[in-house]
Parts: sequence; C-alpha cells; structure tokens
Amino acid sequence: MVRHASPAKSPAIRITVAVMLTVAVGGALWVPIYAHLLPKLGDFPFFYWYQLILVPVTAFLCWISYLLLRTEPAAPAREREHEEARR
Amino acid sequence: MNHLDGVAFTIVIVSFLVVTCIGFAAARWRPAEDPMHLNEWGLGGRGFGTFVSWFLLGGDIYTAYTFIAVPALVYAAGAAGFYALSYTIMVWPIVFVFGPRLWSVARARGYVSPGEFVRGRHGSQGLGLAVAATGILATMPYIALQLVGIQSVLTVLGVGGNSSNVFIRDLPLIIAFAVVSAYTYLAGLRAPALIAFVKDTLIYVTVIVAILYIPSRIGGWGHIFGVSSAHLKSVNPTTGKPYGNLVVLPAGQWAYATLALGSALALFVYPHAATGLFAAKRRDVIRRNAAMLPAYTLVLGLIALFGYMARAVPAVNAGVVAGHGNAQLSVPLLFSTMFPSWFAGVADAAIIIGALVPAAIMSIAAANLFTRTIYKELFRPYASAAEETRVARLASLLMKVGALGFALELNKTFSINLQLLGGIWILQTFPSVVIGLFTRWFHRAALIIGWLAGMAYGTVQAYRTTGGGQAHFGASAAPVFGHTTYIAITALLLNLAVSAVLSVVFKGFGLQDGYDETRPADYVADPVPAPAPARGSARGRAREAAHAATHAAARAPEAARAPEAAPGAEPAARPAAGSRPPWDPAVPWSLGAAPEEATVATRATAAAGATAAAEPPASAKAAAPDDVSTVVFDIPASLTGRPRSQERPLRRK
Repeated sequence: MVRHASPAKSPAIRITVAVMLTVAVGGALWVPIYAHLLPKLGDFPFFYWYQLILVPVTAFLCWISYLLLRTEPAAPAREREHEEARR
Repeated sequence: MNHLDGVAFTIVIVSFLVVTCIGFAAARWRPAEDPMHLNEWGLGGRGFGTFVSWFLLGGDIYTAYTFIAVPALVYAAGAAGFYALSYTIMVWPIVFVFGPRLWSVARARGYVSPGEFVRGRHGSQGLGLAVAATGILATMPYIALQLVGIQSVLTVLGVGGNSSNVFIRDLPLIIAFAVVSAYTYLAGLRAPALIAFVKDTLIYVTVIVAILYIPSRIGGWGHIFGVSSAHLKSVNPTTGKPYGNLVVLPAGQWAYATLALGSALALFVYPHAATGLFAAKRRDVIRRNAAMLPAYTLVLGLIALFGYMARAVPAVNAGVVAGHGNAQLSVPLLFSTMFPSWFAGVADAAIIIGALVPAAIMSIAAANLFTRTIYKELFRPYASAAEETRVARLASLLMKVGALGFALELNKTFSINLQLLGGIWILQTFPSVVIGLFTRWFHRAALIIGWLAGMAYGTVQAYRTTGGGQAHFGASAAPVFGHTTYIAITALLLNLAVSAVLSVVFKGFGLQDGYDETRPADYVADPVPAPAPARGSARGRAREAAHAATHAAARAPEAARAPEAAPGAEPAARPAAGSRPPWDPAVPWSLGAAPEEATVATRATAAAGATAAAEPPASAKAAAPDDVSTVVFDIPASLTGRPRSQERPLRRK
C-alpha cells in the first residue's frame, strides 16, 4: 500500500508555511539585525542571546509548519481506523 | 606533555568498552529477514521512527569535530566562530523543505545514496558518478577530522603523547578505530544508531553540567565576556590586527552569513546526513525531526560558549600555549582544569564517542555511495543484494583505513584544508541533488559542466587564499566584488550560471537529455511498510525492461550519437554501456526518451489495488498498453534481475 502525502493543501496554508520558514532562515541569515552588543540580557550581549533564542523559535516555527502540512490523522486515530477497517 | 590522569582515563576506557558491547549487540537489534540486503546493513532496515532518527541524525551531524573546532574558533577569533550556530539554525527550515521529497523518492525507488538518485533523475551515469565521487572525496577528510578530535582529547588525557614514534603515539587511536570498524562491519548502521543514544546522553549531561557549573566557579558570565573581549581587542603580533571581536563587525558580516548559508545548504548533500535521512521509517519523521533537532543546535551554541569560558581560565591559556598554540586543546583542557577527574573522564568519553558515531556513519554512507553508484554501475551491473552488502562492508573498512592514513600520516593542517575543500566541493552537487528534486529544467550535460566549473573555481580559489600564517588554504572565504564571501557560495553561483546558460544552449541545439526514471508521485510517496514477496515484481520489471529496450532500438541511430554531442561530458558512462547486454534497462533509460508519464491518479489506484506491488510495474502497465508496436519478450527474471529501483518490502512493526 502506498500512501501519498496530499499535494492539495490550500494556498493560504502553503503561504503561511513559506513565510514562517523564511522568517526562520532570514532571522539567522540577516546578520546586521543582530550583530550588536546591546541590549544585554543578563551578562549576555544581544548577539548571543538573540541567536540562542532563535533556536527554539525556529523549532517552534518548524513544528507549526509540520502540523499545518500534516496529511494524516494522528497516530491513535489511525489505529482506530485500522481497527474499524478490519471489522 | 601531560602526565596520565588515571581516573579520567579509566572512565574513558570503561565507556569505550560499554559502547563496544553495544556496537556488537546492535547486530541483533531489530533483526532483519534478509540481513544481506544493503537496506539492512547500509540503512538499518529503513525503519527508524522519530525517536531513533532524532538520536541518529543528531549523533551524525553534530560531530566531535564540531564540539572541538567550533569552541576552538570562538576561543581564537570570537564571534566569527558563532557562524556555526547560525548555520545549524537555518539548516532545519531548509531540510524541512526538501528533506521529505528526497526521502520519498529514495524510498519509492529504493535508492540508498544521493548518487543513485541523481543518476535516476537525470538519466546520466556520468552525473551520478560525479556526485558519488564528490561525496566520497568530501567524506574522507571529514572522517579524518573526527580522529583529530579524538587525538586532542587523548593528548590532554596524557595518553601516548610522549613517544616520538608515530605508531606508538597513536596506538590508542588505531585500536579504537579498529574496534569501531569491526562492529560497523558486522552491524552496519544499527551500531552507530544504538551508540548514538549513549553519545548524546553523555554530551547533554556534560554540556548541562558545564554550563551551570563552570561560570559560577570562574566569576560569572560578565567576567567571561569581559576577559574574552579584552583578549579579542588586543593586537595579534603576527597579523598586526586585533584577534577578533565580541560581535561580528560590518566587514565580516557578509562572510559570516555566506559561511552559515553555504554550510546549511551543503549539510544534507553530504552522504552521511542523507544516509541518516534515508533510514527514517516514515515521511513525517523528517519534518518532525526538523522541529526537534534544533535541541542539538542549542547544545552547539552552548558548546561554542565554552571557547569564551576557556579564555577566562588562565590554566587553559597556559596549556594551549604549551601545546604550540593549538586552540583545539582548549575544550579538553577546560574540562580537565575545571572538573574533578571522574567527570572530566565522562566529558572526554562524550567527545571520543561523539567522534566514533559520525565516523561510523560516514564510512557507511561512503560505502553505500561506492557500492551502488560506482561498483554496481561500472563493474557489476548484476550484483546481487548480498554481493552489494559484502562490497559495502569492505568499502567501509577501506574508507576508515584511508581516513586513518589521512589523520596519522599527513599533517593536521592538510586534513583541515581538505575538509574546507570538501565543504566547497560537496556544495557543487547541490544543483543535481536538491534542485533536481524540484525541477528537471537543467540539462544533464550542463549540470556536469557546471559541476566541473564550480569544482575547479572552488579549488583554485581556496588554494589561493592566504590567512592564518598560511600561503594556501588560509581561509574558507575570499573577496569577490568587494565582499568577503564563502568560496563555496561563489562557486555554487558560478556552477548555477554555467548550468543555466548551457541548459538553454543544449536545449536550443536539441541535444538529447537523459531519461527520468522517477515519477512525480514518487516525490510525495509515503509507502507504508507492508509484507510483499520481493519476487512478485520481477516479471513486471522484465516487461518494463523489454518495453524500454524496444523503444531505444527504434531510436538507436540518434541515441548512439548522443554522447559524442557532449564531448568529455560522460567519458565514464560509455565503456560501461558498451559492456552491457542489449536488454539492460539502464542503457535505453539513459539515452532514450521517457515513455508516457503515468499520472498520479493511475498510480495511486494501481498501487492501492494491487496488494503492495512495487512501483516500477505500475508505470510499466500504465505505459505499455498504448504502444501497439511494443513486442514484449518474456525475459527470465534471472537475466533482468538487476535489483535497481525496486522497493524492498519491509517487515511490519
């Protein structure tokens, strides 16, 4: 059995995902926005705490994108479907 | 230079023994029905879920060299070293975009390495060979650098550092590597996947303890940044300029951004990262992991900060000076100065095991590339699955011996230069591999010439770059049009420009392009492992092969001339093609035109209807009935049993 990830996602979802991923990459790629000493967080210059915070932000954006693009029901629901199909 | 730290050394030895036992036991982990298939040895059965994949990819990508070299760069040059953090941030959104497509096509077509995908997608043996050769060339010094990472830990531990005899001095390293080779040979990808659990647990424990404990002992972060800032502003006597800065200055920002982007684009074109990707069980695993692997990025960022911590500890600075200014000793020295012996042992073990895991995966990945794209394509087109696995095992041993030779015989600078070149080279396969996932607009001959141009430019430019007291290979970034840019990016742009222009030219002249054996549906396929007899599809393959051969025979006159039209583009492909029997599917596929595209709908129904029929018969059935001129010969499966492109059934969990 071959399942195909549905290519038919609404344009709104695709654009949202594209924007989120672009923000994640751009946030790291555009160096001038974070190459500063100030403002400091604790003793950490901006340059360091910005990048360290960008890590969980990127992870979060990827996770949301994953949820938006996911095509199948979550695992427990899938199991139930299989059960029903068998009966 | 150091006396042997008994406690730490004992802990390192014990950890190594534990890991060795796990490595050998891994051969029995998730036992396979057919252990002599390359999917089993080379990809761990293609059955790793989100959890195992997370450890495997994390263990694979965040290597010991990263853990040693990134803080060393931060220790020596400050903020510039943080490009590694930036790079490992942006790599995940990038993988999120193309990773699932690469996984799907590899799963649907049974590819185990990027080289096979390129050959199948662009219908060009030469391009596949180019990608495979680049991958192997770039991987070898990468493995060697894992050894350099181990060496720096062993030096600080005081093991074998005093002897002038190369063999005795590096005996521990040779023994460690021989043991790793043995269990990799036996268990394949299962060994590093299982050991990655130990490696990552040790790394996480070490980093969390270090980040909480060390700053409080040496006067807090304010002091750490203060000392580092003062050092970076002082003038380096050899260059007459400051060592660096606490933030990236405007002059260095372009280099910082291009280094990060170039490394991020290149990462998943490296064979070892692709291998980790291919080993995943489901398509979703890739995206889920793109969201979860940044946990390692956070660790990398914290490890980079170790460079500043090391700068704030006078004993470490003294140790680095005593070690001939080798900044790579800074992190192991930091551990041995700050931690009690037993915990320093844990931390050292983390780095050593952290080097062995990626080294094993890299050798497996290179072996997969060699077996499928070089050995099978050029020498033994009819190699059985068991023969493939035997060859891959031997190739992985050879890769390790080669890397050991690199690390021991050649000097370290040479390995590091080669690694730098490897990064530049591997990015030149990006158009064929990653862009190829989305479009076939580029002509195959144009891609080969573009690749050559990128490789040549990158190599020459890297050779000419001075820096760090070296006349050649001094830095990975060189000025282009007034901006200091990562050479790999400039070379990639040149590569793309050449490929694009030549694609237009070649298409204008009507030069025959390769046959794409993949189908649009392959790129979104998410095959569920289901039990199916592997032989069930052999007849279908035979029909397809015969069909394609008839097509090619009709086109023989122009097809035969096609290679001459692109002089020098595919010199390697022709002798191999000549040695093949006429019904071999690879020859018509690489020269003839594509049969009708099977639509997604046809394939979906065909696949759903047939109980777990493999992919190729579906497309053959879709194309054959329309062609009345086709005479289908029933060729025995033993003659056409060239197991390319077929999906192998996987056991059900």
